[in-house]
Amino acid sequence: MVSIRSISVSPSSLIPADLPWVIQHREDRCTLCGRCTSACPTQAIYLAYRRKRMPKLNIGGEIGNDFKTFTGIRQRTDVAHRCIGCGMCAMVCPNEAITPGPNPNDSRLKFHMNQGGEAWKRGGRRNNGDTILDRVIFTRISMLTDPALDAGRHEFFINTILGRILSPEEYLRRKAAGEWIPPTREIFPFVIGSMSFGALSPNMWLGLLQGVAYCNEVLGIPVAMATGEGGCPPWVLKSPFLKYIILQIASGYFGWDEIIRAIPEMQCDPCAIEIKYGQGAKPGDGGLLMWYKVSKLIARLRGVPEGVDLPSPPVHQTLYSIEESVMKMIQTMSMAWGFRVPVYPKISGSTSAKAVLNNLVRNPYAGGLLMDGIDGGTGAAYNVSMDSMGHPIASNLRECYLDLVAQGKQNEIPLFAAGGIGKNGNVAQNGMALIMLGASGVHIGKYMMQAAAGCLGSERNRCNVCNIGVCPKGITSQNPKLYRRLDPDAVAQRVVDVFLAIRTEIKKIMAPLGRSQSLPIGMSDALGINDAAAAERLKIRYIC
Amino acid sequence: MGQAITIKGIDENGHRIKSKALEDMIQEAVKKSCDLILETYGQHNVGGRLRRKGGAVNIRVRGPVGQRLGCMGRPGTTIICEGPASDDVGYLNIGAHITVLGDATNGACNAMAQGKVIVKGSIGARGLTMTKWNPAYERPELWVLGSVGDTFAEFNCGGIGVICGVDPKNPKNVLGYRPCVGMVGGFIYFRGETDGSYSKTDVRMAEPDDEQWSWLLERLPAFLDAVDRVDLLGALSVRDEWKILIPLSPQEKALLNSGRMNMQEFRAKTWNTGFGGGDPLRDIAPGLERGTIGVIETGEFRRRRPYWANREKAAPCTFYCPIHIPTVDRLRLIRDGKTEEAYKLTLKYTPLPASVCGAICPNLCMDNCSRQLVDQKIDVAMLGRAVKDTRPPEAKPAGGKRVAIIGGGPGGMNAAWHLAQEGIEAHIFEKEGYLGGKVAQVIPWERLSKAIWEAETQRFMQMPNIHVHFGASMTKQELERLKKEYDYIIIAVGTHEPRRIPFPGSDRAIAALDFLKSVKTAKPFKVGKRAVIIGAGNVGCDVACEAYRHGAQEVTLVDIQKPLAFGKEKVAAEALGAKFRWPVQTKEISDEGLVLSDGEVIPADTIFISIGDIPALDFVPETVERFRGWIKTDDAGRTTDRKIFAVGDVERPGLVTNAMGAGKRTAEFIISQVKGEEWKPFVQNVVDRETLTVTHYCPADSSGDTPEDQAARCLSCGSCRDCHLCETICPERAISRVSEPGGTYTYVSDDDKCIACGFCADTCPCGIWVMRPY
Repeated sequence: MVSIRSISVSPSSLIPADLPWVIQHREDRCTLCGRCTSACPTQAIYLAYRRKRMPKLNIGGEIGNDFKTFTGIRQRTDVAHRCIGCGMCAMVCPNEAITPGPNPNDSRLKFHMNQGGEAWKRGGRRNNGDTILDRVIFTRISMLTDPALDAGRHEFFINTILGRILSPEEYLRRKAAGEWIPPTREIFPFVIGSMSFGALSPNMWLGLLQGVAYCNEVLGIPVAMATGEGGCPPWVLKSPFLKYIILQIASGYFGWDEIIRAIPEMQCDPCAIEIKYGQGAKPGDGGLLMWYKVSKLIARLRGVPEGVDLPSPPVHQTLYSIEESVMKMIQTMSMAWGFRVPVYPKISGSTSAKAVLNNLVRNPYAGGLLMDGIDGGTGAAYNVSMDSMGHPIASNLRECYLDLVAQGKQNEIPLFAAGGIGKNGNVAQNGMALIMLGASGVHIGKYMMQAAAGCLGSERNRCNVCNIGVCPKGITSQNPKLYRRLDPDAVAQRVVDVFLAIRTEIKKIMAPLGRSQSLPIGMSDALGINDAAAAERLKIRYIC
Repeated sequence: MGQAITIKGIDENGHRIKSKALEDMIQEAVKKSCDLILETYGQHNVGGRLRRKGGAVNIRVRGPVGQRLGCMGRPGTTIICEGPASDDVGYLNIGAHITVLGDATNGACNAMAQGKVIVKGSIGARGLTMTKWNPAYERPELWVLGSVGDTFAEFNCGGIGVICGVDPKNPKNVLGYRPCVGMVGGFIYFRGETDGSYSKTDVRMAEPDDEQWSWLLERLPAFLDAVDRVDLLGALSVRDEWKILIPLSPQEKALLNSGRMNMQEFRAKTWNTGFGGGDPLRDIAPGLERGTIGVIETGEFRRRRPYWANREKAAPCTFYCPIHIPTVDRLRLIRDGKTEEAYKLTLKYTPLPASVCGAICPNLCMDNCSRQLVDQKIDVAMLGRAVKDTRPPEAKPAGGKRVAIIGGGPGGMNAAWHLAQEGIEAHIFEKEGYLGGKVAQVIPWERLSKAIWEAETQRFMQMPNIHVHFGASMTKQELERLKKEYDYIIIAVGTHEPRRIPFPGSDRAIAALDFLKSVKTAKPFKVGKRAVIIGAGNVGCDVACEAYRHGAQEVTLVDIQKPLAFGKEKVAAEALGAKFRWPVQTKEISDEGLVLSDGEVIPADTIFISIGDIPALDFVPETVERFRGWIKTDDAGRTTDRKIFAVGDVERPGLVTNAMGAGKRTAEFIISQVKGEEWKPFVQNVVDRETLTVTHYCPADSSGDTPEDQAARCLSCGSCRDCHLCETICPERAISRVSEPGGTYTYVSDDDKCIACGFCADTCPCGIWVMRPY
């Protein structure tokens, strides 16, 4: 027996059943090979020795106790070493002897994720699998009414336009007068959303870009990728692949010195410039790269000390109004590339989005607006910001689009939507639903990590430790021992797979609608939802 | 059979006959004749589905024909349309031979499964789509002398198309835009220019092979004959001018879908080239390796690695003993059969193991003994008593340095003991005529056997380099003299001034110190039947016991707070019947006894006061600073006078073992000074209990009777037990035991084998293996 003196409980003492993930280990299958404990990113599991008492209960015979020691893999229950459910143990186990299982009971962990007074910070997503987007279906199927289209047979034009589109009258007037025409880009409507060099490992970030380059140069799918706020390696800035890159500038200004330095040597212009004012995953809170991830390389690229927390302020330090922001940021960025590059702001989904949009409508230099909804992901944020701050993208986008429609401007300033697109794997359907609600295109981040790199995260708080640099797949770690697990060629290949498949699915959605020659932006008469309130809010058809 | 029957599509009134009526007429006529001449007037679905048992049917169609000529045509039917035809010629044809001696519009041969359609001109869009071929029958064929329109041969599953490209509608493109989408069967022969828009994900273009070419060559004359252009035979027989479109197999398509270029090839050709031919991070991170590694790795790719931290942390016994006697080591020596060495080791630390460890000490060392995680703590007192008769350890010869120690209590004795071993002369100046201070003076012989005490003091006196001056009274002048004569002074006089509180009648109370001293002499104080002791600490308990022994029948201990008494002393007092009362506040001592602040009187014949003692420091010079009556010292026991040290109760009140620990500490400091070395105080951390794996041990009913039993029970915290369990559990066989000269050993982990599973750390019973970040 273990001495009672060794058993103590603290306020944060937990049992496995209190944790969101419970390790299930089968001693009969275990070969004690040590791979699971070697792979576990949080050292949540260990080889445990357990003692069994076998009392000799012989009436009239020998009495006493025998003891037997046995082994097993057990999980730790302290907060720092909790099982995150990533499943790496199962992935490396040669015998299917171990796997984490979701705890069907209420987890008590949340009550203790504030040790030392530190509010829970994590990476990942919102831990909420719901999304209205999954419920939107495409109800207008052309059979004998419109030209019947065949996704496999017919040719489709499915690209979208990023940048300010002038009204025909204004375009002709400027053309005739030889005046400046705002730059536009024809891009694939699914953009790889902003994930910084820093939030992502070098192998992940470069793997994504390599896949994007392949899509463009080999397949002719004009996929664009946004950098996030962390700059861009100088060689990339000077490469021909810059034209597929949307450079982000945000309140931390990380990496911009390298970008400005590289301008004279650029072979081409970037795809666009994204000015980040907010992020869907953590609206009202700034970027955060935790110290674990500020490696020598990241420090070098960003021009900061190694191993320090890098917060970006929630607001741009010297901007006090929409007008000033537009003036300062959009003009500066436009001018940097001779007004040849579209510049657009990215904001968090919010009830104030319409105010921002209406300001942009009046500004001829604004190349679009990206709205990022609450279901977006992030490398690091406070749990409360991630779970509770922000606005779902669907109604937010819809409202803004209908506002543009009311002004007759819907074809002039493209709206891009982000935040939870494909959160349950339905990426093309989610994206097309948003496009038909009024988006010119969508940005996808988490989906890319999951599909292209095998990110283990889920909406049930699986893994979600991107913030502390222990990513077991090497996607969000700056530790070469982890990120070298990720083969950039394999990531690139998966990016290619993803965009080939999205392209097919877009056609499979568009063909039955009788659309092939333009993306059905705002084609909301084709949408239906089996929720009357949502239908009313989104102004689409209620179906049942 | 009979004569040819002519059927007109216009009635006698010049009205067009409906398609349905014409069909009835044709079906009637075909029962009578196998030769029909149809003068159609735009009727649809003409010439198919002809129901005639046996024999061929020959139909000539004159005049404008409607859509779907030869629809559902059957084998044996031959249709010759003398002019152009409308849409869907040969729709769902299953065998008819249809010749159109002009152009045909869209949809020719749609869903045809057998039969032949020959067109003298060109056809419109969507020709030869959805064809089928059942190998039990002949393949369907479409022969076009001219060209075809857009989206030709979509979903073609078996039809053979021959497009001759003679007088094409569009000389630049005889196959139209995007032919062969979804085509999975058949072939398309063609001759002439195209725009290359054929579906490359479905078909590939090739030169006809010999077999294909002979197939074509054999059939060309009949085709040209049918369209009356035999003159073209030579022109159309030039093999080089013909191409063929062949459907891709699913395997070939899968290869296409996997990407048009291998990703490694793309990296080499396009990607790296974009960065001037190299890794895009080479400028900002020179030499950065990014090549792929596995999840389970050895060597430098591990994130942790095992470290054998043998003896880097102190066992709880060593750590919590104020003298830091390494009990864990002496038990190991006993396990190794080196019992004598174990005892000698003990004596290096303390001259009084039997008296202190073995009798009077509360054994702080065992408070946190890890064995309690299994059953009971190690019986350390037994180990102390076992050392009673061991000879003193070797001492180095005197080296000329001399230290004066004022006070021969346990603190002073241990300081002298350590100094003497290192060859430093220790001169003890003791006021009394015997050593031991309070240990000898006040601790009842019941708790400390006189025989043991005398044996150990005798052994103490045998230690070379120790000189004891009994009856030495100390004054300021005397101390000044000693300071001049000796290299260092250690003040270890303890506390021999009882504390008193000036309440009325307090002078009637007998100080505990005085009482306890007296009972160890021939003239003990007399004690009345009822005794009250003010102050219920352990000394109070000793007083209570002695009071009972010296006549008291009823003893009450009072305290202003919860009594601090614990352990053996308290148990002994309670066993004799002592009562504890608290919280009570003393007002005065009257003739009746102790008067409390609330007026209650506890009747007493004898009242003791036992609220502690304070040092008597009259002889200490002003240069030595004090704090509330005690001497201020630093970590080494140094006072504000650099030459004067203080150890034991003069620094702060404590246990005997605390005083002895202080004596050792200060002696070690002085030794390091004399040797000119850096003083290394005991700074080891205690072993983290979590790192021990105690389940390897099985609980026992008793803690055993011999030092050997204790040695076997010891968990050897923080100090390798040489059990080989780590070596055994390591799944990679990375751990091995390496013997070193002199009988020592280490366990090492091979970096090239270790996968950092941490099993060694999880297994080690002693907490030696730790996994360090790497």
